Amino acid sequence: MQTQITKLLNITYPVLQGGMANIAEHNLVAAVSNAGGLGIIAAGGMNAEQVRAEIKKTKELTDKPFGVNIMLLNPEAPQIAKVIVEEGVTVVTTGAGTPEPYMKEWLEAGVKVIPVVASVALAKRMQRCGAAAVVAEGCESGGHIGELTTMALVPQVVDALDIPVIAAGGIGDGRGMAAAFMLGAQAVQIGTRFLVSKECIVHQNYKELVLKAKDIDSVVTSRTTGHPVRVLRNAMTREYLKLEKEGKSLEEMEKLTLGSLRKAVFDGDKAGGSFMAGQIAGLISKEQTVAEIIQEIVEETKVVMKERVATFTE
Amino acid sequence: MLEKLTEMLADQLKMDVSEIQPETNLKDDLGVDSLDIFEFIMACEEEFDVEIDTDVVSEFTNLQQVADYLQGLQGE
Repeated sequence: MQTQITKLLNITYPVLQGGMANIAEHNLVAAVSNAGGLGIIAAGGMNAEQVRAEIKKTKELTDKPFGVNIMLLNPEAPQIAKVIVEEGVTVVTTGAGTPEPYMKEWLEAGVKVIPVVASVALAKRMQRCGAAAVVAEGCESGGHIGELTTMALVPQVVDALDIPVIAAGGIGDGRGMAAAFMLGAQAVQIGTRFLVSKECIVHQNYKELVLKAKDIDSVVTSRTTGHPVRVLRNAMTREYLKLEKEGKSLEEMEKLTLGSLRKAVFDGDKAGGSFMAGQIAGLISKEQTVAEIIQEIVEETKVVMKERVATFTE
Repeated sequence: MLEKLTEMLADQLKMDVSEIQPETNLKDDLGVDSLDIFEFIMACEEEFDVEIDTDVVSEFTNLQQVADYLQGLQGE
């Protein structure tokens, strides 16, 4: 399954693993890369030396390409940007802002920069400053999200750019991947389905919540702060949304969310944790190895495309 | 310059130009978020044929500042 993205990134399948903070560490990343996709270390919440250690551990587990995702709001971002060059990482994805301050350094070092974008204007700006591709991420995704859906965002970004586009948000099986290709994407980025992979280190409670989730079980918090986040609903989100409705201060609301992602990932705290997951969680019903997930999605994509295309072109 | 910017922003936000004053706070008073800002900045670049540095984008809190910055660029 060759696309512009498999060629650009030197990978077997056009599947990237989303840079989920506190979750996407060396075990998951190496498993995805070894299975033919692109694993991506999430540097969100880490300092530069922790990122360096994760890169080294990943290299011990795989000789395939892998990437690092940087949250640009992370105060350590300038140091992490340097570590990426020093450790010879070949792919960087960026979120929460624009990577322009680091572009020169990265491009000179041969790093392929793939910003995550949620609008056409930002995508165009990223192309102009030297991005190799972009991830167009719809609001079906878990975690920090934009406003547009994948269905609406991807074709508009594809039309506006000359560089390849990777679709993200709401893609969890071969039907989703086939749909993304039809919209003009050259690859997909998947988060939620990898959350429940055997190699993923999140607490078993986290996996169970995703596996049991139904279509309507995710909610969006923090819309009023301008940084909306999609999470599975629980006692914490109910309380948060109540405070938000009452117009409580940011400080008051942050008391609830401080450290809540870690509570979900490491402690499996079902009431107080922030269980970030996409809308597609409702579709995901089994824990598999990363290799099984990628193979299943790729094979299903081929079948779906062949059968559907035949139906509509007969 | 300021008049044109007000017109462009009003058009983008589907507001009346009278609702936007040079000192109106973009975020707090107009509800402009980061996607809106980049949309507006890209439109400004096209309109005035300039390149706006990303570092300064986050410092803009009102249209007067944008106008001053753009005038500075054009004066160069």
